[in-house]
Amino acid sequence: MVRTVWTLGILAALLASSAGAGAPAPDPQAVLRAIEDNHRGGSGRFTIALTVVRPGRQTEYVLDIWSDGEDRALAVVRAPARDAGQAFLRVGDNLWLYNPRLKRALRLPPSGRSESFLGSDISYSDLAGRDAEQDYTPRIAGTAEGVITLELRPKPGAPTPYGKLLVRAQAATYAPLEWTFYDQRDRAVKRVTFSDHTRVGARLFPTRTVVEDLLREGYRTTASLRDLRFGAVPETCFTLQALEQGCE
Amino acid sequence: MTLWRLAWRNVWRHRRRTVLLILVVAYAAFATILYWGINDGYAASVLNAQARFVGAPVLIMTPDYRDDPDPEHALPDLALTAALREVPRVRGIAPRLEFPALIRSAYTAESAVARGIEPQREREVSAVPAHIVAGRMLQRPGELVLGRALAERLDVRLGERAVVDTAGPAGPRAAGLVLVGLVETGVSQVDERLVLVDLADARRLTGVDTATALALDVPRGEEEAAAAELRRFLPPVVAAYGPAEMLGAIRQDLESNRVAAIPIAFLFALVAAAAVTSTTTVSVIERTREFGMIAAVGLAPVRLARVVVLESVITTVLGWIVGLAAGYGAVGLLARINLLGAAFGGFVGAWSSVPLTREIYTAVRPAYALYASMTVFVGAVLAALIPARRVRRLRPAQAMRIE
Repeated sequence: MVRTVWTLGILAALLASSAGAGAPAPDPQAVLRAIEDNHRGGSGRFTIALTVVRPGRQTEYVLDIWSDGEDRALAVVRAPARDAGQAFLRVGDNLWLYNPRLKRALRLPPSGRSESFLGSDISYSDLAGRDAEQDYTPRIAGTAEGVITLELRPKPGAPTPYGKLLVRAQAATYAPLEWTFYDQRDRAVKRVTFSDHTRVGARLFPTRTVVEDLLREGYRTTASLRDLRFGAVPETCFTLQALEQGCE
Repeated sequence: MTLWRLAWRNVWRHRRRTVLLILVVAYAAFATILYWGINDGYAASVLNAQARFVGAPVLIMTPDYRDDPDPEHALPDLALTAALREVPRVRGIAPRLEFPALIRSAYTAESAVARGIEPQREREVSAVPAHIVAGRMLQRPGELVLGRALAERLDVRLGERAVVDTAGPAGPRAAGLVLVGLVETGVSQVDERLVLVDLADARRLTGVDTATALALDVPRGEEEAAAAELRRFLPPVVAAYGPAEMLGAIRQDLESNRVAAIPIAFLFALVAAAAVTSTTTVSVIERTREFGMIAAVGLAPVRLARVVVLESVITTVLGWIVGLAAGYGAVGLLARINLLGAAFGGFVGAWSSVPLTREIYTAVRPAYALYASMTVFVGAVLAALIPARRVRRLRPAQAMRIE
């Protein structure tokens, strides 16, 4: 009798494993990379209309961006007039700011990566980089109604103050839909929502991003991309000369 | 001798006036001693906080680092440590690697100067590890200890991770460290800015494999002397600094405070002297008829003036003794019981640039008796001479007619 139970148990386990083998669970790391790839869109040049909403006021910026889709990006402010000419260059962990009034390029400390970009809810890290892949261990948290949810937990010693990230993407295409940042007490503190995806080769690139501060009511930033021109960006665009003189 | 006896009797014949004069002089002496005791005590409290909480009793670093505290000006090596252990005054040595950093939580970020330490050695040179009020001291890499006020501003709790960002000689680097302890010392510079990390983490973040300073513990009160002694012994690439030298602009403030205290103290003396003089003068005016009678029975005006001087001397000396006793009693008490800290503790946070604990004690120095005697002396001289001059010019017949 005992032997029969054992045999049934083993059979059940085998059946279960063979059933799973027909639809292998996706590799969370590969899913994260695919989401990041869609999110970055690859190298190219585009214009961003940045709307920074604060209680009682709203500021509109227009920026030209050149990005290699990885760790390098150049951003030049075109409007409003008082900020026009300001430029930001990120190359890996290095970040520079060009101030047209001072006619000087300043290298910002690495901490600047996490600082607010133009007073918005977007950090410099959000403009370029793959910090999520470096700092977090992903796990598939679930798939429902065509949406896959990844749960990202920080790696030991990872330079992130968040306790958890929930990443939602289309299950079929891994087009990013929403990133929610949680503090270490499991409280959502920031939400980034992606929409208006456009197809760029094999990628589905979101052209509208809304960043909401969940701890402060009325703090929101919307980034809408237009004039997208994907393709290789010259190496000279990611230099200090381009920071000061632009990249055309 | 007769004049002394006459003066002594006169003093006690007008007890109310004498007690008033003694009180005025005593107050002058008391206020002078208290004033200097608080003044010096404040300076000593600042130096003590600098030595035991903010910096160290003695710091050995390169002069370049002293002028520009950048990790790239770190000590070339730590070979000095063994030799320093042989120096009699040196009771403890700990390496420190300090670097500018940004501390980030999920909610906000604060700039700070992070201090990489060897936890066990740090206890030998700093009072900070003894002021952990929640959690525990660092034990291993990957951990973080913060000043309580800083942790509250960041809203990071024990067991949670905070990110330390820096750009040292190794380039931009960051690490997520777990908060294991909170420090509260009453020194705003520590409570609001302290970031302690393990030396290994500091080296990894900066790329510096030595230290920016060697912190030394020496007996209290011998900090500057020990630093001066060590300077003669150290190789020229490094130098030893006492807490006063590490205070920077605050040191100038302390020195200028002390200089500014002198005219204030002089003003004290002048006001006290004026009070004594006026009291004595009024008493002489009140006693004009009495003096006229005494002069009429044969006491020469000069001798009468001497009696008045002696009366002033007796009352001022008595007042000085009472003032000394009260003054030293008060500063002695305030040197042992932290009443000033309780009274001025509320201001400590407001003076965040000044390293000051919520424990403020007065200083007690023998020189205060001298300062007080100078005050009293000025008072006594004025109190004696002006009324005595009036008595010398007294005409007995005219004086006796005064009602």
